[in-house]
Amino acid sequence: MLSQWVLMGALILVGVYLLKAKPSASQQAIRRLAIIAALLLGALAVLFPSYTSVVAGYLGIGRGTDLLLYAFVVFALFYVVHQYRRQLWQEKTITDLARALTLVRAAQEDQAPTNKTKP
Amino acid sequence: MATTKKSGRPAREADAWVVIPLFNESEVIASVVTELCQSFEHVVCVDDGSSDDSAELATKAGARVLRHPINLGQGAALQTGFDYVLTHEDATHVITFDADGQHRVSDALEMLELARSKRISAVFGSRFLDKRTKPGLKKKVVLTVAVIATRVFTGLRLTDAHNGLRVLSRETISKIRMEQNGMSHASEIVHQIAKARLAWREYPVEILYTEYSKRKGQSLLNSINIVIDLIVR
Repeated sequence: MLSQWVLMGALILVGVYLLKAKPSASQQAIRRLAIIAALLLGALAVLFPSYTSVVAGYLGIGRGTDLLLYAFVVFALFYVVHQYRRQLWQEKTITDLARALTLVRAAQEDQAPTNKTKP
Repeated sequence: MATTKKSGRPAREADAWVVIPLFNESEVIASVVTELCQSFEHVVCVDDGSSDDSAELATKAGARVLRHPINLGQGAALQTGFDYVLTHEDATHVITFDADGQHRVSDALEMLELARSKRISAVFGSRFLDKRTKPGLKKKVVLTVAVIATRVFTGLRLTDAHNGLRVLSRETISKIRMEQNGMSHASEIVHQIAKARLAWREYPVEILYTEYSKRKGQSLLNSINIVIDLIVR
């Protein structure tokens, strides 16, 4: 069935994104295009609800509702993975910041070795 | 530098700096630092946002204490220690040492001697090269998973991937950069040393499993975290 290929492809893409995503401008552009496409498709689905069933029929999915459900699941999964990656990048930034602060403080203390121990 | 001066002692190691990641170890850190200071001039504790008085106790015992403003994880603490040591020109080696008192200072000294005499970039302590250490079954499972994961991802055939006692040359720490903040840094160090094609060796060490260190040991589930951290980064 065509839908199975499409869905498996989408899940594999999410998996690749989980492993390979980097904070790059081109990936951001792709994400934005995907959001615009999702908005347009969403608007079409709202305006012409009966066509979702037609598309679903082409893909070998029974009903338009099921098509929307599948699309939602894939989108939600992608969103979770994207947020997870973002959190990893943020952690790294925070780590770099905290480390820089620690080292600057240490350098200051080393330069002024007046034996006062700060609480 | 705040060091305890004791006359009549043999000269302390001045070129090898000890780096201890420190997080809430107030029960044991003072004795660990005191013992290390008898053999090493530079003992650096990186306090990883402890909520107890570990940092004060380490300072009093003679360590140079750096403080993370927030808790980042053991790997991050080690990396901070490495960065700090690299700012000191006289440091030729770094010794990583756990704060919970499970390592023996004599092992560290022997490993340092090996690294110096054979010019080895990285000497890893291993508790499985001889029969001295007797870990429990649970510990064995965790460590076996870690060893297998390390082999798969780094290609190095280490027998004990998660031993906190290591001797690394200055060249080594300037070439590696740990980005795993948590416990997966141990495999990450190995991975980067493999990639940089540095000479490495394992050295048999004894782990002193006290009631205290057993209580603080890693859980079985955490080995899953280690594997996933190595895949997704």
